Amino acid sequence: MVHFTAADKAAITSMWRKVNVEEAGGETLGRLLVVYPWTQRFFDNFGNLSSASAIMGNPKVKAHGKRVLTSLGEALRNIDDLKGAFSQLSELHCERLHVDPENFRLLGNMLVIILAKHFGKEFTPQMQASWQKMVAGVASALAHKYH
Amino acid sequence: MLSAQERAHVTQVWDLIAGHEAHVGAELLLRLFTVYPSTKIYFRHLGTCPDEAQLQSHGQRMLAAVGVAVQRMDDLRAALSPLADLHAQVLRVDPANFPLLIQCFQVVLASHLQDEFTVEVQAAWDKFLTGVAVVLTEKYR
Repeated sequence: MVHFTAADKAAITSMWRKVNVEEAGGETLGRLLVVYPWTQRFFDNFGNLSSASAIMGNPKVKAHGKRVLTSLGEALRNIDDLKGAFSQLSELHCERLHVDPENFRLLGNMLVIILAKHFGKEFTPQMQASWQKMVAGVASALAHKYH
Repeated sequence: MLSAQERAHVTQVWDLIAGHEAHVGAELLLRLFTVYPSTKIYFRHLGTCPDEAQLQSHGQRMLAAVGVAVQRMDDLRAALSPLADLHAQVLRVDPANFPLLIQCFQVVLASHLQDEFTVEVQAAWDKFLTGVAVVLTEKYR
């Protein structure tokens, strides 16, 4: 189980307050679909994903990205019990959506890159470490109910 | 493997890194060791707590090799053959570690380039660095 220090929690929550969840969500999911095109397999009904600009501008991608990051933001309030926080979503992703948990790791890494892009120098190695821990915890929590 | 456009993204970003290999390399290694402490086992010669000079020295070597890869994208296997031998026979870095290094590399690029780190640039570098990692581990068995 991931253990977050007080420093991790402070770093994560302080940075999260400055994130535009709608923009960052669309950016994160969009880039996932561009950089790792095979991830598009879960979004056949999202319409035009034929090019990088089509993907980044796709309203369904943006909306879904916002939904995903909003959910992540909510989980931050239960950071010490991510498995509990993501229990239902884990079941959903396994039983209904059939998403390979590897995708959670890819998306988490993508979020870290987006944060680095947005925050520049402020995204120090220590900040990155806290966030990588966070996204790894989320990915693990989402995979927890798989059977 | 890389399209003409992707190659252009790689070389354009490399032009910004060239001349700064030591600093970029040092930051890359610092991030790698901070975020993924288990990777330090491959760098015992730098000591348990490498200082800036050590990070720059080794970082410079690693980035110089990336520079060679950029110059010879068409010919990676030949260009990186000695390094591939080194990794297979001496270093034997578990292949699972290369994605960790690539993640840190992307974070370095993203934090420095910011808005210039477009999705196209990111995709090109991910593909390029993954290709380098494949070549470096190809002779493992």
